[in-house]
Amino acid sequence: MWNYEKRLQFPVKIKTTCPKTAQLIISQYGGPDGELSASMRYLAQRYTMPVKQVGGLLTDIGTEELAHMEIICAMVYQLTKDLTPQQVKEAGFDAYYIDHTTGLWPQAAAGLPFSAIEFQSKGDAITDLTENLAAEQKARVVYENLLRVIKEPDVREPLKFLRAREIVHFQRFGEALEKTKEKLDEKNFYYFNPEFDKQMLKDGPFLS
Amino acid sequence: MNQNHLAIASVPMQNWGELYSEKDALHSGTIFKDLDMPFFAVAGEEKKCCCGVEPKSSQEMERQQIMGQITKTGFFLDDLTLFLDTHPAETDALKLYRELSQRHRELKANFAEKFYPLSRNCITDSEEQKEFCWTDGPAPWEGALI
Repeated sequence: MWNYEKRLQFPVKIKTTCPKTAQLIISQYGGPDGELSASMRYLAQRYTMPVKQVGGLLTDIGTEELAHMEIICAMVYQLTKDLTPQQVKEAGFDAYYIDHTTGLWPQAAAGLPFSAIEFQSKGDAITDLTENLAAEQKARVVYENLLRVIKEPDVREPLKFLRAREIVHFQRFGEALEKTKEKLDEKNFYYFNPEFDKQMLKDGPFLS
Repeated sequence: MNQNHLAIASVPMQNWGELYSEKDALHSGTIFKDLDMPFFAVAGEEKKCCCGVEPKSSQEMERQQIMGQITKTGFFLDDLTLFLDTHPAETDALKLYRELSQRHRELKANFAEKFYPLSRNCITDSEEQKEFCWTDGPAPWEGALI
């Protein structure tokens, strides 16, 4: 069960319409390293995590990523608000506009639709946590690529915030990996899959 | 645990350390000074919130002020939660969490009473409300919440 709070985790107030910027930022909604992908990845992986603490962390980070998705969508929405047909054509937003007008639809900057193929839920704790470490780094790079080319302070502030969150999440997933390693055979972390061969975990399955 | 394992990633566990103020934490994207690692292309930029909308009335000013506090305490709790997920027995963090979540709840109840509820849970808190009012107030994406 989830609770919704009618506020953004980080405020967004963009004064100037800019469909070109919207076209770039939308990647963090539906792109390969976007917030939707992040949220679905973590929320999918948590069910079979052998260490309860890690399942809890995945729930909390997966939930925060939903709030980040809302921040990105708010930015795209505000950047395309009151769009004129003239601006649509000049800013290269025309292809998106034909299919979605100014509605929000998860896609990458280059137009590729959101797809679950962008992320994995492998059913192996080390593999999934290693994927998550990489995912946070990839998202960080996207925010840095955006920050290099976008100048408007109104747009930069939330992007800076979201980039900083990737670094914090990386640290937490690293700690989650350490917690998982403690439950494995320290001579050979790959002796069994802790999500499948549960009977082989130290002190039994589903540890806190 | 032995840190010399081959063929696996290792990240050091974070120690409880110095924290930012509530305002600086939101603008740094973390409450932890140790985890604040800015990108060179933003170096020298002032840490500020972009949302300085000029309030039109004293009521709007108060709304923005309380909303600002809710945002700051809310974010502090978000970051603290993730720390506690991997450091569940850290007493300083637990103590801070208890204090802040109490204040956060009070702020939200106060906001619901004075303006409109932010979550379904706040809807019936005030006896002043004569009807179900989930639709009161601006949508978060309208940029009017702070």
